[in-house]
Amino acid sequence: MSQHRVIVVGGGLAGLSASVRIAEAGLPVDLFSLVPVKRSHSVCAQGGINACNEVARQQGFSEYEHFDETIYGGDFLADQHPVLEMANWAPKIIDLLDRMGVPFNRTSEGNRDLRLFGGSLFKRTHFAGATTGQQLIYALDEQVRRYEAEGKVNKYEFWEFLGPIIHEGRAVGIVAQDMRTMQIRSFRADAVVMATGGCGLVYGKSTMSVMCTGAAAARCFRAGAWYGNPEMIQVHPTAIPGADKLRLMSESARGEGGRVWVPKKAKDPRDPKQIPESERWYFLEEKYPAYGNIVPRDIATREIFDVCVNMGLGVGGENQVYLDLTHRDPDYLTRKLGGILEIYEKFVGDDPRFTPMKIFPAVHYSMGGLWTTYTKGSYNPGTALPKHKSGSPAPLDAKVGLGMQLGAPNNSMTNIPGLYAFGEVNFAYHGANRLGANALLSCIFDGLFCGVSVFNYVKNEAPGKAPAEGLASGAFDESVSRETARMKSLVDSASAGASDPATNPYAIGKELGDEMTAACTVVRTETRVKQCLTKIAELKDRYAKVKLSDAAGWTNQSFSYARAVGDMLAVAEAIALGSLERRESRGAHYRSDYPDRNDAEFMKTSLAKHEAGKTTLEFVPIDASLVAPTARTYGKKDTKKPEMAAAAS
Amino acid sequence: MISTLAPTGTAPASGMTEASRRRAMAKANRVVTFRIKRCDGPGKASYWQDFKVTVPKNANVISCLQQIAANPVTADGKPSTPVVWDSGCLEEVCGACTMVINGKVRQSCSCLIDDYAPNEGDVMTLEPMSKFPVVRDLWVDRSRLFHNLKRVQAWVPIDGTYNLGAGPKETPASQATHYVLSTCMSCGCCLEACPQFNEIPDQGSKEANEAAWNSAFIGAHAISQARLFNAHETGKELKEERLDVLMGTGGVNDCGNAQNCVKVCPKHIPLTESIAVIGRQVTFHAIAKFFRG
Amino acid sequence: MSHSVAAAPDQSFLDKNYFLIRRLHSLTGIVPIGVFLIAHLVTNSSAAWGAFALREQLPGVNATADKGLAYFWKEVMWINTQIPHLLLIEITLWASIAFHSVFGVYFAMSGKSNTNRYSYQSNWRYSLQRISGYIGILFIFYHVATLRWGWTFLVPGGTKWSAEFAGSTLAAAIQGSENGYTFGGVLVTLLYFLGVTMLVYHFANGLWTAAITWGITISAAAQRRWGYVCAGLGAALMVMGWVSILVFAVVNPGLTRELEEGLQKGHSSLVEPSGNERLARAVRHDDELVVGGMNLNSNRTSKE
Ligand SMILES: Cc1cc2nc3c(=O)[nH]c(=O)nc-3n(C[C@H](O)[C@H](O)[C@H](O)COP(=O)(O)OP(=O)(O)OC[C@H]3O[C@@H](n4cnc5c(N)ncnc54)[C@H](O)[C@@H]3O)c2cc1C
Ligand code: HEM
Ligand code: SF4
Ligand code: SF4
Ligand code: FES
Repeated sequence: MSQHRVIVVGGGLAGLSASVRIAEAGLPVDLFSLVPVKRSHSVCAQGGINACNEVARQQGFSEYEHFDETIYGGDFLADQHPVLEMANWAPKIIDLLDRMGVPFNRTSEGNRDLRLFGGSLFKRTHFAGATTGQQLIYALDEQVRRYEAEGKVNKYEFWEFLGPIIHEGRAVGIVAQDMRTMQIRSFRADAVVMATGGCGLVYGKSTMSVMCTGAAAARCFRAGAWYGNPEMIQVHPTAIPGADKLRLMSESARGEGGRVWVPKKAKDPRDPKQIPESERWYFLEEKYPAYGNIVPRDIATREIFDVCVNMGLGVGGENQVYLDLTHRDPDYLTRKLGGILEIYEKFVGDDPRFTPMKIFPAVHYSMGGLWTTYTKGSYNPGTALPKHKSGSPAPLDAKVGLGMQLGAPNNSMTNIPGLYAFGEVNFAYHGANRLGANALLSCIFDGLFCGVSVFNYVKNEAPGKAPAEGLASGAFDESVSRETARMKSLVDSASAGASDPATNPYAIGKELGDEMTAACTVVRTETRVKQCLTKIAELKDRYAKVKLSDAAGWTNQSFSYARAVGDMLAVAEAIALGSLERRESRGAHYRSDYPDRNDAEFMKTSLAKHEAGKTTLEFVPIDASLVAPTARTYGKKDTKKPEMAAAAS
Repeated sequence: MISTLAPTGTAPASGMTEASRRRAMAKANRVVTFRIKRCDGPGKASYWQDFKVTVPKNANVISCLQQIAANPVTADGKPSTPVVWDSGCLEEVCGACTMVINGKVRQSCSCLIDDYAPNEGDVMTLEPMSKFPVVRDLWVDRSRLFHNLKRVQAWVPIDGTYNLGAGPKETPASQATHYVLSTCMSCGCCLEACPQFNEIPDQGSKEANEAAWNSAFIGAHAISQARLFNAHETGKELKEERLDVLMGTGGVNDCGNAQNCVKVCPKHIPLTESIAVIGRQVTFHAIAKFFRG
Repeated sequence: MSHSVAAAPDQSFLDKNYFLIRRLHSLTGIVPIGVFLIAHLVTNSSAAWGAFALREQLPGVNATADKGLAYFWKEVMWINTQIPHLLLIEITLWASIAFHSVFGVYFAMSGKSNTNRYSYQSNWRYSLQRISGYIGILFIFYHVATLRWGWTFLVPGGTKWSAEFAGSTLAAAIQGSENGYTFGGVLVTLLYFLGVTMLVYHFANGLWTAAITWGITISAAAQRRWGYVCAGLGAALMVMGWVSILVFAVVNPGLTRELEEGLQKGHSSLVEPSGNERLARAVRHDDELVVGGMNLNSNRTSKE
């Protein structure tokens, strides 16, 4: 009797919840990760995780409203059914996490406490201190460790995924490399779940962790998996500039009264405290008298960008503006914002309670990712409903199976049978813009809900008849020799002191990051993006001749990085292509030459495909049959109750 | 949440903290020597190598290592190889980048050069953690630390991922206690600084290594996690099994109360308190076992 | 259900009884060793404070210092007359010290001091706990060997200690001769200061750590408070220890001996036999025994 196996690549929230679910269902799981799974990027999430809850429900909130605001926040680009199912599942996910021991903040009665987050009028965000992501991933990590101790999950930490192995059109395993011994080998599996997270490193510096290169997704992309909405990259308005990383400064700083300003005089050398009120420009308050500093996130980002990049008014001539809390009572600030102010103090050295912080927007999240499909659930109203009126009764209850059919083998499956994409690497759910505290939800939802799909696929579809274990070794050996050759060509290039920037992988990576940040972030134009594509082509040429400075056959980190740079170029190209072809403005994608949303032509998924070494892009229709699109204004006329538009991380 | 922010009463109105004063004095774009203890792989001899790095203000150790990786030339102008190190979040929440800096263990991502080497020509020394086997250069293999979490079954034995309602209620005070314990990022600082937790040479195989780890001191990290799960309403289920392990060889008794662990823990986890709590639990557990048989 | 890393079936004796051994180690440090240490230092320091406790008037004993020495003499004589008790106590004590120090050395060897890198006060105390254990056991060995077992070749000047001349022989042993300081005597005195200091520190700090080991002090604040108590006790014991040494480092052995001889002459009137003493006499049918503490002493020594 042959044994089925599943490979999960990635040990963030998505990968861990998938592993738990699949192992629990009875399939052995091989879990691959670049880092010990407990150190995955998901630890960085601070704000919280959204779900309808009893308190909000009794005030009129509902799973349906959560669904509706996610669609609206995403500027009507997401396929709607999966989002409905995710919202319906959210409360169950919180319950489960609660049972796993996540130390959610509590009310005096001992219930889970809630906080208000961007994009909603209701408190629907559950949180554990200022490190929610860390607490969630630890809970899942512990459950996986439990299965590991029982022998149901086998971890391959410090192993790098190099590509899926595709045989007769379906994924039957992966090829991977031990980053310490440099051993390359193939692994057989009846299904492969990609849960490899985002691609912030394509932009050089972002709020993401160092392993978020997007290389794993790119390797699937190059193997024929489609990539959806690559151009949808979220830029967070407030991050702490740093030489190595742009650390997030949560939007709650502005929620608590933080004011954004720059000195009126360019490159004013004075200490900010010495600059009199009359010589400060509170540009957000001036331009948006109603919303002031808490304008929607994309607007704040664009304005800060404009002031620094176009007007050259950034503090000290650099790309940074002041985020000023010094007018608030320091004790109040400690109580409300202690955690995040501490990060600022740790990395910058100044105490934000007494010195204005210096911040700048930073690449934060990728809504785009590997394209996946799903099986619609039973809710199909015929005509799309108008936008839900906040607080009004939901038009339907939150039954499971309305949005997606539980257990359908193709849920969150890429166009390659047997190859799934969960979590941030999955393009679904967030459309053109992600709401704060929805990412953690989508990661865990994918793992738990679609984990069942993986099980069913393995048992009932192709692998049921022809388990990977019994396949001829051809495809496996071939992939190992291909990767071995790729490594050899890179390592053979190594020559001591190879510091010519033209062929230095670090220089290429840095130039790529700078170019992508300049062309494909806050404001995009036809000419600039075209220039960017030219630059990418140039970098690709240079990359073909890349030279390493380390020929070691043991733990060769610069080789791993150099290899990833090649894959990052592929992601970058897809992002740039999407930015070029989507000639409208929607969510995070703002084209100053096409400032309006164009539903007729572009309420569609941009789909990047990689064939025969060439990347092409097409637009495919979405399923928006549940909620009819409306203008995404965030109630601009309602001056009494301004909300933060998109996410507060 | 423990705040390292100074109490407002003591902070000067200028907003200058002790750190910011020190950092303000640091010269921009000074050249700092990085003296790095390198090792090409397990079983190979370690050697020291110096690199000169031009350090902008606010740079941290990681950004300097990145510079070295991009252009690995030693202080005396000889081409070398990029230094290998481990990192992840770069904001002190993942624990990956732990190393010994100027003789003390800490995270390298949150280590600002301005604090350590504010002047031209200053020297920073970087060494790998000494209690874990070196993989290469500054990268060590901390499998033992994760294995120790298995020794104490550091998890809540839930019935499964089915929809079974909410978890137990909890008071805010108890949440606050548990939250702090739960912020442990398994970085290993507490183990590196502990005089009772010492390196175990590679035993040749995974099984042999695990057997050796099982009888060696488990360290403050796992003891504190055992405390966390023993306190959880459902986690209690495994309390006795955890205590059986912790009263045995390599358990809590091996702690010598040097209390270095609590001083180096970047998350300010009250580790010595955890050690005492487990000490008490083990005492009662032993008495109970004696009378119960 | 158990996912725990199963305990190997072929466990050693140590592994099987690990908890018991560890806790016995901790316990023996306090009871009986620590308690004995307190009693011992209280007795010895009575040479300094005994004048205030001596309630009767002794012929020829008038000076405060003499009164102290007289009280000390009485104490020693009394202790050395509690035969069965003394035996029991000594056996328990020796067994405990042997147990505590054998495992103490074993446990101490499992650690690697790192005060060079982490020079925190608590870390110094940790290292000092080990160092003081090593020095302490060497000192105890020297102390007992020279004074109890009569290994006079280790005593500069070769003085043999005896209970009936406790003060004078001790003073001579410490000072290196019966008539004043010699170079060897200086070394012995220093060794006594070092040994007593180390042991008192070891006990006081051990008391502090034991409260954590047993889970008595939990919070950092409780540990700090208990630390003050231990420090206070340690300071008191330290003073007693140093004062004891100081007294015998300064008294004149010859004059002390004269005092002791005087005391012995009036012995029967000075020392009222206690119930136990009578019992001892009854058992041994030997009235002389009490006075002939020397004989008693050498008898026992040969047995050990
Ligand atoms: C600073 C910050 C704050 C955030 N705050 C919030 C918040 O408050 N609320 C919210 O909902 N969302 C938040 N997000 C977003 C959210 O954290 C992420 O979207 C989410 O954690 C992604 O999880 P994941 O499981 O998809 O991937 P990750 O956690 O990124 O994990 C990826 C995994 O894949 C592995 N991997 C990658 N490449 C390879 C390879 N080639 N081979 C092998 N393994 C590989 C990695 O080792 C890792 O284990 C935040 C993001 C950032 C940057
Ligand atoms: C007069 C003699 C001694 C006294 C009064 C004494 C007392 C104590 C006490 C009270 C403790 C604390 C136990 C605990 O923390 O639980 C202790 C610990 C210790 N003792 Fe002693 N001790 C003595 C002699 C020795 C000797 C001779 C050694 C040999 C080296 C020694 C080695 C140790 C060690 C290593 C510890 C620490 C044990 C641990 O923390 O696990 N002791 N001692
Ligand atoms: S208190 Fe215990 S665990 Fe902590 S450093 Fe000291 S010996 Fe190690
Ligand atoms: S307890 Fe503190 S020092 Fe130890 S591993 Fe956890 S976070 Fe690191
Ligand atoms: S890189 Fe995560 S703690 Fe330093």
